[in-house]
Amino acid sequence: MSNTAESTVVVKGASSSRGALRRLIKLIPLPLIPLFIFLTVFFFLPIGKVALNAFEDNDGAYTLANIRLLFQDPYRLAFRNSISLGLISALVGSVFGLVIAIAIEKRGGVKLKKFIASISGVLANTGGVPLAFMFLAAFGPEGLMITFLKSFGIDLYEWGFTLFSFSGLVIVYSYFQIPIMIIVFSPAVSSLRREWQESAENLGASRFAYWQRVGVPILLPSFLASFLLLFASAFSAYATARAMTVGNITLVPLVIGSLLDGNVTINQANLGYALALGMIVISILAMVPYLFIQAKTSKWQQ
Amino acid sequence: MKKILENASKKLPSTIILSVTAFFIFLPLIGATEFSLRDGGPDKHSFQSYKWIFEQSGFKENLGITFQVTSLAVILNLLIMVPTVTWLHISGLKYRRLVEVVTILPLIIPVVALATGAQTALPSFLHNTVLELSFMYVVIAMPYSYRALDIGLSGKPLNTYVAAARNLGASWYKVLVSVIAPSIWPSVLAALFLTVALSLGEFTLAQLLHWTTFPTWVANVSQENILGATALSVGSLFFAWLLLFSFTFFGTNKIDRSKDEE
Repeated sequence: MSNTAESTVVVKGASSSRGALRRLIKLIPLPLIPLFIFLTVFFFLPIGKVALNAFEDNDGAYTLANIRLLFQDPYRLAFRNSISLGLISALVGSVFGLVIAIAIEKRGGVKLKKFIASISGVLANTGGVPLAFMFLAAFGPEGLMITFLKSFGIDLYEWGFTLFSFSGLVIVYSYFQIPIMIIVFSPAVSSLRREWQESAENLGASRFAYWQRVGVPILLPSFLASFLLLFASAFSAYATARAMTVGNITLVPLVIGSLLDGNVTINQANLGYALALGMIVISILAMVPYLFIQAKTSKWQQ
Repeated sequence: MKKILENASKKLPSTIILSVTAFFIFLPLIGATEFSLRDGGPDKHSFQSYKWIFEQSGFKENLGITFQVTSLAVILNLLIMVPTVTWLHISGLKYRRLVEVVTILPLIIPVVALATGAQTALPSFLHNTVLELSFMYVVIAMPYSYRALDIGLSGKPLNTYVAAARNLGASWYKVLVSVIAPSIWPSVLAALFLTVALSLGEFTLAQLLHWTTFPTWVANVSQENILGATALSVGSLFFAWLLLFSFTFFGTNKIDRSKDEE
């Protein structure tokens, strides 16, 4: 067994790069072929198309013009808005989620934890159009919550509150962001053993010292990872944003949506691909570190 | 007694935080339900908007389309993922890392970007059928369905079962039916539930690839009847929650059992 492994390593090292593709195909065993064909046709080819067309002009010649447009308004503004929406929504979601995850752990109880895990799983998957309409109905100008507050003399809309805004989106996104945070972050909180705090105290550490030396260092990687995941989820959300905004906020997914709808005003047919490529690059920058940290921390959190 | 009181006061802040959380979860739901029951103004309530839903020809039609797309997505998903993950576990997990990395990729790429590429890159036999959505839904469900199957099978030494059955003289057919199928059934169910929940509510790909499905129809309806659209939203949220909640219930039970066996 070890003999064959050694010889493949030797062969790998010796062979030229031209055979790389053939070796790659040979590397995939027969039972995995259907999965790889499916993913190639319905995932890798579309993504490849995005990456290629982003660098082509209308006649198919190589150009950087589409990419350059990303750094000019209104597209630069769209990216700036989407990135700020992602960051603020991630901040709100991760801070509230952190507090709730710690409260769940302190409150204890296996049954409660299981129940909250189920609810979080359900709410984390709640999104899209129904979520937007639910909030518009409850917190719209005619909604129950707003009229209820009005009867106490509190007129939120008079004070400039509106759901059709940046902060409105942040509020609505919290409805799935906080549950995502609870799901991703809870294992880290549970891994903080009560014994550690006790032994730290027995060794004469203050509460502050315990958090500084033990608590925060253990929680920080998971917190950063969760933050990145929340950023990516708010950054790329489309359905809720589309149902909630009335063309007043420029976000990258919405710009791509209107380009795909045929609202192309300039002779740049491939601009949509460039915007999509920009989204992919930013998502990769957030998601790859997230997955990496998750893989590292989940090993000792079990 | 003192200890109980002390314990309770220690738990009080967390109890308050969790109660406030529960309150905020239900607030929009209550508001939306009340709104959807309005009849004319905020003071009169009836089921008028819900009745209105069933009078719409688009309701049955688009629900039908979404069920078709969902069914094909579920079938395709199971056809591809179940044999793949089963083989992965029987063959000793040598290729698990590779499949893990490949199946997580759709989670990294924003669906909007995938839709941009899919608009022109899909094979021609799918160009004029709404069922092209099913193929895309299999892709975006893959990170979840792979994990559901993998977690379900991880608790079971499947290759040991298979080797034992073979040694005792079982045919491969017998192995498949009486050894593999019962072991993977709970995880198959979990993968199925996830794919169904995802396909039923998917909006982005359907809308960007210019198809009318149930979720895009709900979005369009809001322009003529906002009360009706709210009623539809409340209805589909309750349906989705029921579906997902029953799944998570299944899921936790299943994982617990597999832990007991270890």
